Amino acid sequence: MIAWLITVKEVKQHFRDYRTLFFLLAFPIVLMLILGITLTNAFTSEVKLDGISVLVNDASSGELSRSFAAFEGELSHSGIAFEKLKPGMEGREEIGSDHYTAYVQLSDTGMSLYSSSSTTVESIIVQGMLSAFTDKYNAAAAVAQEADSAEVQAVFAGSGGNYVKDESVIPDRMPGSMDYYAMSMTVMVGLFGAMSAGGLISSERVRGTGVRLFAAPIRRSDIFIGKVMGNVVANTLCILIIVVFSKWVFKAYWGAHLAAVIAVLICEVIMATSFGIAANSWIKNGGGRGLIMLVVQLSSFIGGAYFPVADSGIMGTVAWLSPLRWANHALLSIIYNDDAAAAWPAMGFFLGAALLLLLSTVDFRRNREVV
Amino acid sequence: MNVLEIRGLTKKFGDVVAVDNISLKVGQGEIFGFLGANGAGKSTTINMICSLLQPTDGDIRIMDHDIKLQSRFAKQSLGIVPQDLAIYEDMSAYENVSFFAGLYGIRGALLKQRTQEALEFVGLGDKAKSFPKNFSGGMKRRLNIACAIAHKPKLIIMDEPTVGIDPQSRNYILSSVRELNESGCTIIYTSHYMEEVEEICSRIAIVDHGKIIAEGTKEQLTATITDTKDIVIELKNAAGAEGDLLKGLPGVRKVSQEENVIRIHSDASVDNLNRILKQLMAEDLEIRKVEEREPNLETVFLTLTGRNLRD
Ligand SMILES: Nc1ncnc2c1ncn2[C@@H]1O[C@H](COP(=O)(O)OP(=O)(O)OP(=O)(O)O)[C@@H](O)[C@H]1O
Ligand SMILES: [Mg+2]
Repeated sequence: MIAWLITVKEVKQHFRDYRTLFFLLAFPIVLMLILGITLTNAFTSEVKLDGISVLVNDASSGELSRSFAAFEGELSHSGIAFEKLKPGMEGREEIGSDHYTAYVQLSDTGMSLYSSSSTTVESIIVQGMLSAFTDKYNAAAAVAQEADSAEVQAVFAGSGGNYVKDESVIPDRMPGSMDYYAMSMTVMVGLFGAMSAGGLISSERVRGTGVRLFAAPIRRSDIFIGKVMGNVVANTLCILIIVVFSKWVFKAYWGAHLAAVIAVLICEVIMATSFGIAANSWIKNGGGRGLIMLVVQLSSFIGGAYFPVADSGIMGTVAWLSPLRWANHALLSIIYNDDAAAAWPAMGFFLGAALLLLLSTVDFRRNREVV
Repeated sequence: MNVLEIRGLTKKFGDVVAVDNISLKVGQGEIFGFLGANGAGKSTTINMICSLLQPTDGDIRIMDHDIKLQSRFAKQSLGIVPQDLAIYEDMSAYENVSFFAGLYGIRGALLKQRTQEALEFVGLGDKAKSFPKNFSGGMKRRLNIACAIAHKPKLIIMDEPTVGIDPQSRNYILSSVRELNESGCTIIYTSHYMEEVEEICSRIAIVDHGKIIAEGTKEQLTATITDTKDIVIELKNAAGAEGDLLKGLPGVRKVSQEENVIRIHSDASVDNLNRILKQLMAEDLEIRKVEEREPNLETVFLTLTGRNLRD
């Protein structure tokens, strides 16, 4: 209850710092507008399934092979081209040189998917279809434990052609540049929560008000929780404003699972807040600020805030170092793959990181001297 | 029952002993003065009373409760007016007082009433909606006090509440301190302005280098001064009286000067007034007024430490 008083105060102060607020809201919105308009060509504006080609190396036998063939058959109606790996071809190289959207390796032990580097959205579509296939195959395999192969095939036959419809893997639309930047800028603003969090405790010290907080008959954990919640709530409100603004003014597409999108963003803000607090406890006397700025900028850059990152290649790998990549990836799946469950791994990642970061500040919170 | 009881309190910062084995008792209804020069250890003592610093040694009891064992009770009984302003510039005067009173568990209609009362008490009743960033130094100081009293603490600790403000605000604050005291609050008042302490405090401790070097009522303290006297001489123009003109004369211990007034701290047993005046006249300095002052707290401090309070 006491913590809540502090939270309310924090939010109030956050929204009275007009200069920072302006930066926090206007900066991403303006960037969204500029990048969204100027980089339109970097994005395909409509779905071209017939542009998708998948290279298949089927080294499996039996059920998997048969099922996959059925799957191929269904999807080829929609224009997606499946090609067998020819002898002498190196599948991953073909992907690297952009001849195919994706490369699938089937063996009796499982299935691997390699995606092309420049067609991020198409590869997400392929990913979605394959996961639909795997789900179905696993279900079928479970049935097969008790029945014969004919029944397995029946599962596939019975639902033939529904990979697309069931999982809605083929979206009504794909991210246009505005859609992409609305998302990536919002994710970037989520990370900005680290900057305001960096000053949470030190600002009280600078203002002298820390003395009053710590002299009051309340627990230190209440102060800590109140402040953290304040930062999370305030930054979440900023993000909601940006989402709403981009949705209604820029007509950006946020998909059908807004709640999952927002849940991921909130977890991102929690992680950013924890990072801000941790950075300031690691490096004292304002040094934390520098670290926070550096990490936020670098993560935004490599994580795809300003340009969509490739799935493969060095940049594609490095991108995963950025929390932005985790959020962007999850949001793309939620929005365009209709896969609300994609929120879980990202949320787990963010909350786990937040916990570790907060644990690292433990000695800072134990320090009983506050002046 | 003592509102505050301190025993053997010590605080070390590395090699610096900021507070050195202080013991004292403050009874119900007192205005207890804590007088000391810069760096004497006043704020450090206060910060320990408020649980903002951990004592290196010793213990503190508030209303008979150990502040370590019953910290919530101790904190609830305290109101603190910190030396450095502790207010939010981006929240209105009302929001400031109300937020801090809220931390003491006051809610709802009572919170509204107490907040408004506190603001009115410090003369900011009509400024409730204004933001401190537009306040004068004196108004900020008064808000700083309002934030400490809305929860009606038994003991209010004021750490130099009058530094850097105009005389009018200072008088306002001093009379509010008296009023708070009359309403039943015990007050600890820290200052390095001895005039203030003399004016309002019922009992005074003089602190130097972390130790209490004297304690008592103003009368008790000045009564200890029997071997020194203060001679105050007003000149028409003191240019030329600077430096060592009077130093070295028999009995003279210390000479200080403020504008055209020279103050000579001297042994009481030596009759040196004639010598002093002769010396001044020899320099062609026009003497306006000569006075032997009653010893005051400044004299006490000077006698005990050999320094002026604001040296
Ligand atoms: N956090 C600290 N670390 C190291 N030394 C400190 C610290 N706080 C205070 N001191 C030292 O302790 C001594 C007492 O300081 P304190 O602030 O208590 O004095 P004060 O009587 O309040 O002086 P002032 O009138 O200037 O406010 C000083 O020598 C000061 O330098
Ligand atoms: Mg002080």
